[in-house]
Amino acid sequence: MSQALFQTALYASLALCALGLVWRASAWFLVRIGPDVREITFSERVAAVYRGTIAALFSRDLLGLAGAFFLDVLLLRRLFAHEKLRWFGHLLVLVGFTLLLSMHALAPLVTANLFQGYQPTLAPYLLLRDLCGAMVLAGVAMIYFGRRRPQPGLAQPRRPLGMVFIALLGFVLLTGFLLEGHKIASPRAFQRMTERYVGYSDAQELEPLRALWASEFAVAFDHLKAPIDPGLVAQGRKLHSDACASCHARPESAFVSFPVARMLAPVTGLLDAARADVWLLYLHVFACFLGLASLPFTRLFHAVAVPLSLLVNAAATNRGYSSAGRAVQRALALDACVRCGICDARCSVAPLARNLGNAGLLPSHKLIASAALANGRLLRPGRESDALRAADGAFLCTDCGRCTSSCPAGLDLEDLWQAARGDLVAAGLPAPAHWVQERPALDWAESLGSGCGLHAFSDADAACAPLSADRNSFSRCVQCQTCTNVCPVVAHSIEKADGVDLTPQKVMNLLRLGLRDLALGSRMVWDCATCYQCQEICPERVRVTDIMCELRALAVQRLGAVRGTRGRS
Amino acid sequence: MKDASCISCDVAVIGAGMAGMAAALFAAQRGLRCVQIGNGGSLLFASGLLDLLGVYPVAERRLWRSPYEALALLAREQAEHPMARLAVASIRSAFESFVTALASAGLRYAPLGEFNRKVLTSIGTVKTTFGVPRSMIAGAAALEARPPCLLVDFRGLREFSARQIVATLGERWPGLRHQRIEFPGAESAPELYAAHLARALESRLMRERTINLVKPLLGDARAVGFPAVLGLARAGEVHAAFEEALGMPVFEIPTMPTSVPGLRLLGALETAVSKLGVRRRHQASVRALVFSAGAGPATLELDGAQGGERVVARAVVLATGRFTGRGLTAYRGQVRESILGLPVHQPDSRETWHQRDFLDPSGHAINRAGLEIDSAWRPLDAAGRPAWPRLFAAGSILAHQDWMRAKCGSGLAIATAWGAVEQVARQLRRVGAG
Repeated sequence: MSQALFQTALYASLALCALGLVWRASAWFLVRIGPDVREITFSERVAAVYRGTIAALFSRDLLGLAGAFFLDVLLLRRLFAHEKLRWFGHLLVLVGFTLLLSMHALAPLVTANLFQGYQPTLAPYLLLRDLCGAMVLAGVAMIYFGRRRPQPGLAQPRRPLGMVFIALLGFVLLTGFLLEGHKIASPRAFQRMTERYVGYSDAQELEPLRALWASEFAVAFDHLKAPIDPGLVAQGRKLHSDACASCHARPESAFVSFPVARMLAPVTGLLDAARADVWLLYLHVFACFLGLASLPFTRLFHAVAVPLSLLVNAAATNRGYSSAGRAVQRALALDACVRCGICDARCSVAPLARNLGNAGLLPSHKLIASAALANGRLLRPGRESDALRAADGAFLCTDCGRCTSSCPAGLDLEDLWQAARGDLVAAGLPAPAHWVQERPALDWAESLGSGCGLHAFSDADAACAPLSADRNSFSRCVQCQTCTNVCPVVAHSIEKADGVDLTPQKVMNLLRLGLRDLALGSRMVWDCATCYQCQEICPERVRVTDIMCELRALAVQRLGAVRGTRGRS
Repeated sequence: MKDASCISCDVAVIGAGMAGMAAALFAAQRGLRCVQIGNGGSLLFASGLLDLLGVYPVAERRLWRSPYEALALLAREQAEHPMARLAVASIRSAFESFVTALASAGLRYAPLGEFNRKVLTSIGTVKTTFGVPRSMIAGAAALEARPPCLLVDFRGLREFSARQIVATLGERWPGLRHQRIEFPGAESAPELYAAHLARALESRLMRERTINLVKPLLGDARAVGFPAVLGLARAGEVHAAFEEALGMPVFEIPTMPTSVPGLRLLGALETAVSKLGVRRRHQASVRALVFSAGAGPATLELDGAQGGERVVARAVVLATGRFTGRGLTAYRGQVRESILGLPVHQPDSRETWHQRDFLDPSGHAINRAGLEIDSAWRPLDAAGRPAWPRLFAAGSILAHQDWMRAKCGSGLAIATAWGAVEQVARQLRRVGAG
């Protein structure tokens, strides 16, 4: 391979990678998420990161940081807690790739200096190289097949370029194994090596060595097919031990490349004629360079952002975040999320998302919306309905915290949602409750009403609010007031003249009377804290809280129409 | 066969009303591993007063001062009545055990003694009962001695009117007065809810503000009565603070159900059974109950908010109540037990369910419908044999009693739970030995 070409390509891809990293990292200091960090400047954030890093490195926090590095970054503890298969895949890739990079790609710099007499064609390197390659391949397969199925009936979140990187990685490994296999089987490679190290030119004198290499090293000579004369092989052994043995072990231990060599044997002549050794090497190396250059632009970037995020979290465990640090961490979270979907699967309002047909309620979609809001794309003309759906998603969240506690990257998603809500309000997209509370419940009953009359429920209603469309779910209510008695929202508003307009038991009574529309805009429905005390204690086991949530969802769906956009799309 | 959603136990108690709670409590006290299934919401309809037996015979409306004498007579005359199946000593132990457990969970009763007591109700009538919470006992004393007495109520608390009580009782109790006050901080609230007031009064500040409103109204009063809103989980503390600050006996009068004393009772019983290790499935209901032949266990398939679950139990106590508790279901032609479809002792035809006169003193036949049991508290199948060797029943689901008219609701629940659990323990020992 031309040294100049190699170096040009290497430095070009390193430069691209570096530029890309700077570009991605600059976002952590520029992107603004949340009204509380709007005034914080670029330099304040840089200073905060600098101070935070110094403080973490030169204090007892270093221990915690080291622990987090070992458990969270290297052993991927958080992923282990949720997805064993993908955890194992990640671990295989992490170990295999790191070893390949350091011991194989950087062999002249690393391995040759560490191990006296290192030759890639000696044992155990033949075995180890293949083992690492196989680990990466197996790991990638586990990650791919262990991925979460999308939420049924809801749009998939847009993912950063993931397959690009997986394809590149696969290509590098494939060309690596092919190249290795081809070199084992290639008579041309044998020819080149003997010219350099044996020095004989006479074809006949090399015949015993050829016989030995054909029978024990799998070189595919056209004229030396089994059975090979054992006497000839024995003759070749002397020459082999003088000229070859110090650098070559038998290749069977390369448990992937060796079978590849066997498979390639019939076409080795053709490949040699086509100089496969050269172009396979080019493909292998340039694919590596491409991978390097594209690192900041594909989903592999999470391999940078997630460890950083985890370490920043660990550093902040004891001393907490400054506002500037918080700003950086939020922007970092946008890059660290790979839309793995673990949070979506645990999201408390996922059933609501399905009922409303609005995937914007799910955490992975909310994160994307937060990014789009931060860079202004969400507020561009023509995206009004996306913006409203994002706002509904942000405000129908119950802050249960399950997304944060399940995130394998340890992202503080609740903080992100809180910040995004502030931004949405500032952008003129307040909570649905805000719109609702502008007018009394009776007004809403007209504008949000189904117009279907008493006891009539459209199919759309039944899909969105199955409990309140089913008389059996509330007809048992005996109006005993227990729900109202235990309701903290009602208790709190005892002191306020503008407190809740209805109590939970009155909302249930409206349902019994077929006056559900009257409840849709009521403060009780919208101020409900979803603490579930009423539902837990109801002597008639009416699902009071679930019904309140449903009514809210139904109102949001109708509110979409009132606000001039479609609620469902 | 062991999986996460399957729990095994000695006894599964189905029902979490008074009888179910008592059964779970007694079983756990005997060291049996117990699972309890059912929502305790029906306890919210309790007044906090524990009746034992107030009226016998029902048709004569004869009131008794000594419930134990009444029980002795009942045992002689009405052998099929569930409470007649127990020795008086057992009933006494059951009650003592029950109120001791409540006290350990923070809900204290006045010492039980030998006699029924008379207490005021929220509409000014007088009720005969047996177990009286500490916070209400001064009311019983006041009702007997009738000293000058002030009843206080709160504007906006609709289920309680001091004025009505005075209007009903005033002629017979000349020193009885009433005063209405604003609940501090809720002057503009159109409507108040008892539990919210109870919770608010657990704060010292709110207590002091309320007491300061009452003090100037005391006059010559030697006792003060309030609706039962003096605290929830810390009711004892709140009541003591009122007595100390007002310098005289303070008593609560039970409000209409669902009431604060009901919430206290539910809370205390939940605490008491949980402390003894009873595993509660209060959001679940039994979808299917399957018995195995011989000495094998019963399997209960549960439906619940958290999805399905299976309970494998060596014995089962059915304490599912009557119609409101959904232990019994009334169909057009007949009444059936709800989970297993067990035969129910009932009037021959629907025409004879009720008397002509709704207020007929002898009550209605349908009120005495319920499960027939053998001497070991086991419900009978259609052939008159125990439906399963280790299925027991307790509480109001049992036939031949009219607890409402006899004023024996809590007594029936607690006593029959005691009797059934005694048999559970005996049968399990037998199976264990065999």
